[in-house]
Amino acid sequence: MAAGDVFVVGVSWRTAPVGVRERLAYRDDEVDAALADLVASPDIEEAVILSTCNRVEIYGSCAEPGLAAAAASARSFLARSRGVAAEGLAGHIYERSDEQAIRHLFRVASALDSMVLGESQILGQLKDAYGAAVRAQSAGPILGRSMEKAFQVAKRVRSETGIARGAANVSSVAVELARRVFGDLHGKTVLVVGAGKMSALAARHLHSAGASGILVTNRSPEKAAELATEVDGSAHPWGDLQRLLGEADVVLSSTGAGEPILTVKLVKAAMKVRRWRPLVIVDIAVPRDAEQAIGKIDGVYLFDIDDLEKVVRDNIAERQKEAEAAASLVDGEVAEHRKWLHAQKVVPTIKSLREYFHQVATVEVDRCIRELGKAESPAEVEKAIRRMGELIANKLLHSPMSALKAGEQAEVEKLVEVTNRLFGLQQNGATGEAGSKKRSA
Amino acid sequence: MPPATPESLVTVAPSPAFYASLVLYGAATLLYVVAATQPARWLPSAARFTLLAAFLVHGVDIGWRGVEHVHPGTSVREALGFLSWVMVGGYLFWSWRVRIGLLGAFVAPAALAMLAIARLTPSGEAMHELGTLGRVHISLATLGVAMFALATAVAVMYLAEDRSLKKKQFDNLVLKRGDSLETLDRLSHRLIVIGYPIFTASLLLGIIWVAKRHISGFARPEWLMAGVIWLTFGGLIAGRTARGWRGRRAALLTIAGFAASVAVLGIYLARRALGG
Repeated sequence: MAAGDVFVVGVSWRTAPVGVRERLAYRDDEVDAALADLVASPDIEEAVILSTCNRVEIYGSCAEPGLAAAAASARSFLARSRGVAAEGLAGHIYERSDEQAIRHLFRVASALDSMVLGESQILGQLKDAYGAAVRAQSAGPILGRSMEKAFQVAKRVRSETGIARGAANVSSVAVELARRVFGDLHGKTVLVVGAGKMSALAARHLHSAGASGILVTNRSPEKAAELATEVDGSAHPWGDLQRLLGEADVVLSSTGAGEPILTVKLVKAAMKVRRWRPLVIVDIAVPRDAEQAIGKIDGVYLFDIDDLEKVVRDNIAERQKEAEAAASLVDGEVAEHRKWLHAQKVVPTIKSLREYFHQVATVEVDRCIRELGKAESPAEVEKAIRRMGELIANKLLHSPMSALKAGEQAEVEKLVEVTNRLFGLQQNGATGEAGSKKRSA
Repeated sequence: MPPATPESLVTVAPSPAFYASLVLYGAATLLYVVAATQPARWLPSAARFTLLAAFLVHGVDIGWRGVEHVHPGTSVREALGFLSWVMVGGYLFWSWRVRIGLLGAFVAPAALAMLAIARLTPSGEAMHELGTLGRVHISLATLGVAMFALATAVAVMYLAEDRSLKKKQFDNLVLKRGDSLETLDRLSHRLIVIGYPIFTASLLLGIIWVAKRHISGFARPEWLMAGVIWLTFGGLIAGRTARGWRGRRAALLTIAGFAASVAVLGIYLARRALGG
């Protein structure tokens, strides 16, 4: 089967609510079997399944004339394999082919189609999906090359535009702000006050950014111990808060207290103990845990949830501005990759044509060599060589000439045009190059 | 006309290298200012390399003046040109390690202005009686003040970043382009620690020089100011070691110390220009 077109069938956060997406999502252990089923279909040659919380997509390739059938196959497979009625997917599922499918793939890889524009997770997920397809032997040269190209495009988009600049979620912003104060976070200590999920997430972010220790304190020692285990930190008694403030560099506070926990008096006392080393306090609690006047103390940098969300909004707005540049970069790459895909379609024909010409030439050259062995005069040698040339030309021209003579009027006109174009023939029948040589001679 | 002796020569005509460095400092200033506001990636590198070229050509000018027996310690005016050169050298050295690219927009024009003042303003009366001690005193004081000048520039950047963070102006240019607060604080302190012993040595040599020349009146304003500089930076180093003074407080003290240095320089320059 000749190499053909690429298609994609699926749903995403743009087209389907989470209720639909979760019904279609594949677990990791289900993907191998699904890929095997897909490529077992006569319409589909290659397949990759991308299943994340925001999208479920089947990328595939098929022989050129079978694009519609392959996409329909994948669409019905998606519904059937997840036990969803095909009608239930109407209005949610989308289908793209050829150039549109390639553009979609490149945009997905570059996080231009992500809910959080420019996020980095999708590229890893797409790489994992392709890796699974390679292991399941469902990815071949067309999807393989398309995926590799998508990864390259995503890298270009990230490095050449500002699409991924700035943190795009609250916990990453906490890390970004801490970096503005401390630079390198290696060796820094994080104190989590309260047991809020958001604080835990931000603490984990800080930890993975290099912060060495996570201290957890809570009014409930059990909850403190539970969170400490979750974030790989150590639990401390609530009464040690002032001492802990002296040790920590970044404080993440999210208690459910009605009154401020972090008072000016407490923080000032802690700052003296820490010899005025900078202290970043991220107060995610509502109502807030920290007295606002704390932000006026030298070396203390206080941020509340509104500050963090403002940074997120600003960064996303900046990313939106960069999306246009990223989209045109993707378009350029799509055009280039499409050329490659089209080139793949003619490769088998070129190969067959070459083999046929070689075969004809070999047969006639062998015949000529045999005749030359019997030749007794230069005239006979010349005759044998001329005969070889004529025979090669006749054999090669036989099929095209038969087609030209046998076709219908409209078909013949088309064939004449194609023949003239393929062999560079002039109106008088001579090849352009040979004719011009003759004329100049 | 008797040949000029090193003692009688306070200045010589500006060399071609001086004019070239002036042009290069101007170009570097322009590039740094544009780089501070434009996102083009090549601009900061172009600005830095132009400043490096200016620094090298300025070095050639200083060397040429040395051959003509006008070295940095010959007069306060010469020292000003040398001060700008050391300041630019120090800035270039640190800018390869710490993100202080924005400071180039202040360092380059400051160097340009200092060099222009040093070479193009009236020289005043020659100081024939300087001697080796006086020249070493001026040279060391210049080196020390150059370090304080750089520390001050970094401290100003620290204060701008600190203010932006406290006021939650997250899209502020200094915050986006500058290094972290802790890095700037450490760099400013390091520069003071380097400059302070040099300045102290120059002060001691100055006292010996004044004593040798039997000049009366230790209450001259520039000498008192030099004492203020020494006490300010000394207090800052001691305060940081003993009490953990850092950040905003340290930055403000650094600026105060440098303001006193500028005052001393201003008094000297005015006195020379007026022939006092």
